[in-house]
Amino acid sequence: MLERHMSPTVSFYIRHRVGSVDEETGKTGAAHLLEHLLFKGTKTVGTKNYEIEEKVLKQIARTGHLLDLEIMKGNQTDGKQLELLKIQLDKLNKEHKKWMVENEIDRIYTENGAVDINASTGRDLTTYHVSLPSNKIELWARIEADRMTDPVFREFYAERNVVKEERKQRIESDPGGKLFEQFFAAAFIAHPYRHPILGWSSDLNFINMDDTEYFFKKYHAPDNTVIAVVGDIDPVKTLEIIKKYFGPIPRQNITRTHVTEEPLQTGERRIEVLFDANPHIIIGYHKPNMPAFDDYVFDVMEAILSKGRTSRLYKALVRDKGLAETVQTVNGMPGSRYPNLFVLYAIPRHPRTNAELEAAIYSEIDRLKTEPVSEKELEKIKNQLKADFIRGLDSNAGLASTLSYFETLAGDYRYFIHHINVIEKITSEDIIRVARRYLTSDNRTVASLVKKKQ
Amino acid sequence: MSALIWSVIFVLCACASRVSSLPPHNSPDQLSYPPLHISLPQAQRVVTENGIILYSLEDHEIPLINISVVVKIGSVHDPIGKEGLAELTGDVLRTGGTRFLSGNAVDETLEFFAGTLSISVNRDYASVNLSILKKDLDKGLNVLSEILQHPAFEEEKCNLAKALKIAELRRINDDPQKLAFREFNRIMYRNTPRGRLATISSVEKIQRDDLVKFYKRFFSPKNAMMTVTGDITSNEAIHKINQYFGMWNTTLNETVVIPAPGKNKGRIFFLSKEMPQSIVIHGYLAPAKPDTDSYAFEILDFIIGSGGFRSRIFHDIRSSLGLAYTAGSFYKARSDHGIFVAYAITGSETTSTVLSLIQSIIGNVKNSQISQNELDWSKNAINNSFIFSFLSADQIAQQQMMNEYNKLPEDYLLTFREKIKKVDADHVRSVANIYLSFDEANILVVGNEKVYDSLKSKFGDIQKIGDRL
Repeated sequence: MLERHMSPTVSFYIRHRVGSVDEETGKTGAAHLLEHLLFKGTKTVGTKNYEIEEKVLKQIARTGHLLDLEIMKGNQTDGKQLELLKIQLDKLNKEHKKWMVENEIDRIYTENGAVDINASTGRDLTTYHVSLPSNKIELWARIEADRMTDPVFREFYAERNVVKEERKQRIESDPGGKLFEQFFAAAFIAHPYRHPILGWSSDLNFINMDDTEYFFKKYHAPDNTVIAVVGDIDPVKTLEIIKKYFGPIPRQNITRTHVTEEPLQTGERRIEVLFDANPHIIIGYHKPNMPAFDDYVFDVMEAILSKGRTSRLYKALVRDKGLAETVQTVNGMPGSRYPNLFVLYAIPRHPRTNAELEAAIYSEIDRLKTEPVSEKELEKIKNQLKADFIRGLDSNAGLASTLSYFETLAGDYRYFIHHINVIEKITSEDIIRVARRYLTSDNRTVASLVKKKQ
Repeated sequence: MSALIWSVIFVLCACASRVSSLPPHNSPDQLSYPPLHISLPQAQRVVTENGIILYSLEDHEIPLINISVVVKIGSVHDPIGKEGLAELTGDVLRTGGTRFLSGNAVDETLEFFAGTLSISVNRDYASVNLSILKKDLDKGLNVLSEILQHPAFEEEKCNLAKALKIAELRRINDDPQKLAFREFNRIMYRNTPRGRLATISSVEKIQRDDLVKFYKRFFSPKNAMMTVTGDITSNEAIHKINQYFGMWNTTLNETVVIPAPGKNKGRIFFLSKEMPQSIVIHGYLAPAKPDTDSYAFEILDFIIGSGGFRSRIFHDIRSSLGLAYTAGSFYKARSDHGIFVAYAITGSETTSTVLSLIQSIIGNVKNSQISQNELDWSKNAINNSFIFSFLSADQIAQQQMMNEYNKLPEDYLLTFREKIKKVDADHVRSVANIYLSFDEANILVVGNEKVYDSLKSKFGDIQKIGDRL
C-alpha cells in the first residue's frame, strides 16, 4: 500500500505469479483464456438463479467437450453426430442466457466510476487492475475476492472464439506479431517461453472448461498473489477491508513442478517467415534474468544502443547511414522469471535489406566488445535511467504496477529502487565483459520476415 | 527491466469453485460508501505581453517540470499537392537545429541531462512537450525557446524526415488497422481539407524552403497556448516564460479558418487486402464540442460502444456471439464538428453479419427508447469517473488549455456533470435520429476478395477503392 493524496482516486493491481510459461503442452493459451473468463462473473455476480444455471453449465461443458472430441477425429468425424451436438450446444447456450446477466463485473465497476478495468496475461504473470474513486475500496475487494474464489465460466465457447479472433488480429494479420511468435519458438527449443501467450491455433480449438478450471484452481491462490493499492487511502482501514474479503480465502500450497531448462545454445539459429509485408529483422541472445548482475549491465547496453536520438544504433543506422527506418533493443524478452533474451528489432529502410542492416548491427555490437564506453556516454545513460525512475513515480497506476511487478517477480518491491543504485556502479569494463560473454554468434537467433511473392 | 511493457496480452481488450463455501457477502450493488470529497484544482491563466496564453499549476511531489505548447496549425493547413508539410515542419523543427546549435548538438544537450522534447503535428494542431528535471529548467527552456523562435531547418534533417515519412507510408499496408483508419478518414472527410492526406508523391515534392515558409506563416505566439506544470510556482513559471519567450516575434502570423466538414451521401466502400479478418468501420458526423447536443451524444456513444463490456456493440458482437476481439465506438468532438465511429474486427466469413449487426444496433437506438436502467448506468459511469480527468497537474492544465483552444465556456468542466445529469432518454433518442442517418453513413470495409463478393451479394452497391499511398 502506498498513500498518495493527489486526487481522490485509488489504483489496484492484483498479480498472480502464473502465466503462459506454466502451461502444459497441448494446453497452450490456458492462462490467457482463463483471464478472459474471469470477467464473466461469479456465483453471486452475474446470475439470476445460480442453482439452475449451474446445471445448464455442466451440460454445456459436457456437450462442448463431446463436440470437440468429434471434431478431433478429423477424417473420421461423424457428420450427423457433429450437427446434432452443435444444435444441442446452441440450445443449451440459449437456455443458459435466461439465467445469467452478462458482463456484470464490468457493469458494476463502470457504473461506480471505475476506469482502466482490464487484465493482462504475460509469460510470467497474470494481472487484474482497475482504478476507482477512493470511497469505493470495498467494491473492489468484494468483486476481486469473489472472483479469486467462485468464478463462473459463462459463455465459454463464445469467449474461445473471441480469443481465436484475437489471434487472427495480433498474429495472423500482423507481421511483427507473427515474426516474434516464430522467433521465440526458434530461440527456445525446450523451455516453455517458446509457447505463445495466445496459445497455438490447434490448442485453442480444443481447450475446454475443465482445463481452465484446473489452471485456475492450481494457480490463482492467495499464496501466489501480490496486491498493490496506491492512492488516496487510509492504510489501516484499507487493510481491514482487504482482510475481511481476502482473508478467508485458503492458501493452496502450490507445488511447482520441474520446468524444462533451456539447454545451452551451441550455434547460430536462423529462420525466415514469409509474409505479405515489408522486411523486418529480429536478433536475440540468451542471457541471465534478474536479479543477476549481468542483467543490469544489459539494461545499460539497451540504453547505449537504442535510447533516444543520440543512441548508437539510431545515430549510425537511422540518421547517418540511412539503413534503417527504426531500430530498437529490449532487454529481457519474453519474460523475466527465467533466463531470457536480449533482443534487437529493426526495420530496413527501402531499398536496403535485412542483410545489410544485420551486418551494420553486428559492427555496433563489436564496438561494445572492443572499445570502452566513454565516461561521458556512461554518465548520460545513468542520468537518463535516473530520470526515467523519477518519471515513473508520478501516477497511482504506474506505481501500483511497478511495486506489484517486482514484488511478484523479484520477491521484493524494493528491487526497482535498488536497481538505480546498482546501475550507478556499472563500469565500462563490465560492459566489455558482458558483451564478449553473451553477444556471440553461437548464442544468437535471427528471424527475418521476407516479403511473400504475390 | 524495460521488458515490463512488452509481451503482455490484454483482455480488452463452467463453475470453478475452489472451496466449498465462504460466508456470503452482500451484492456489490448493496454496498454503501463514505462520501467522496472532490475538489477540482484549477490552473492559473495569464496572458503574456506578447500574447501567449499560459496556464500553470504547481505540483511539488517530484522534482520534474513539464512545459507544453499547442499551436493552431495542423495538416488541415497543408497546401494542395504538398500534403505532409505541416507534419514535416514539426519534425524538422525538432531535429533541424537552431541559430547556435546544430540539430545533433540539440539532441546531445537534451539527452545528456535526460530532458525529453517532442513535437508532433496532427490534423488540427501541433503539440510540443518538454519534460525536464527541475535543476535543468533553464537549460531546457533555452533549447525549447531557441527551437520555437530560431529554428535552422538543416537540409540534411529535412531529407531524413522526408525519407522516414516515405518509409512510414510505404509500410502502412503492413498494418491493417492503420491502413483502414487512414482510408476511413479520407472517406469521412472527402471534399474537405481534412480528407487530403500525405502520399509518397506529395512528400517527395516538399522542399526545405516550404518548411521555412510554413513555419514563418503559422508559428507565432498569437497562434500558441502554453502550460507549465510541476515543481515550479506559478509566479516563477510566468517569469520564466516571459524571460525565454518575451521576444518571440509577434508581427508575422496568420490564422486560416478551415470550413467544418459537411455531410456525405451514405455509401459502403471496400478496400481489398489479403488477410483472414475484416475491419468494419461506420462513421457519422456528430455534434461539435460546444454544441448542447454533445452531452446527450456522449451518453449515446457510451451506450452504443464506448462504455466497456456492457455497451451494446461489445456485448452483442463480442461477449454474446464471440465474433470479434476488437469492437466498440468512439465520439471525438472538436470546436467546429464531431465524429462518431463504430467499428469491429471480425473473421472474413462473419463480416457481413457484423456489418448488419452494427447497423441494427444503430437502428435500435433511433427506433426505441433506451431503458431508464441503461440511461442511469451510463450517466453514473460518466459522472463517477469524471474525477479521473483531474489526476495530475499536467493533465488538469492541459485540459483547461484545450478547452479554451476548443472555444468552450470557462465553466465547461465545472458544469459538465450537471449537464450530463439533465439528459433524458428522449434527448438521447433524438440526437441518434438527428445524427445517425443511414443516408449519411460512411462505411468502410477492409477485407479480402471473398468478403467483397459476399458483401456485394447482400448489400448491393459497394464502391471499391484503392489505397492511395
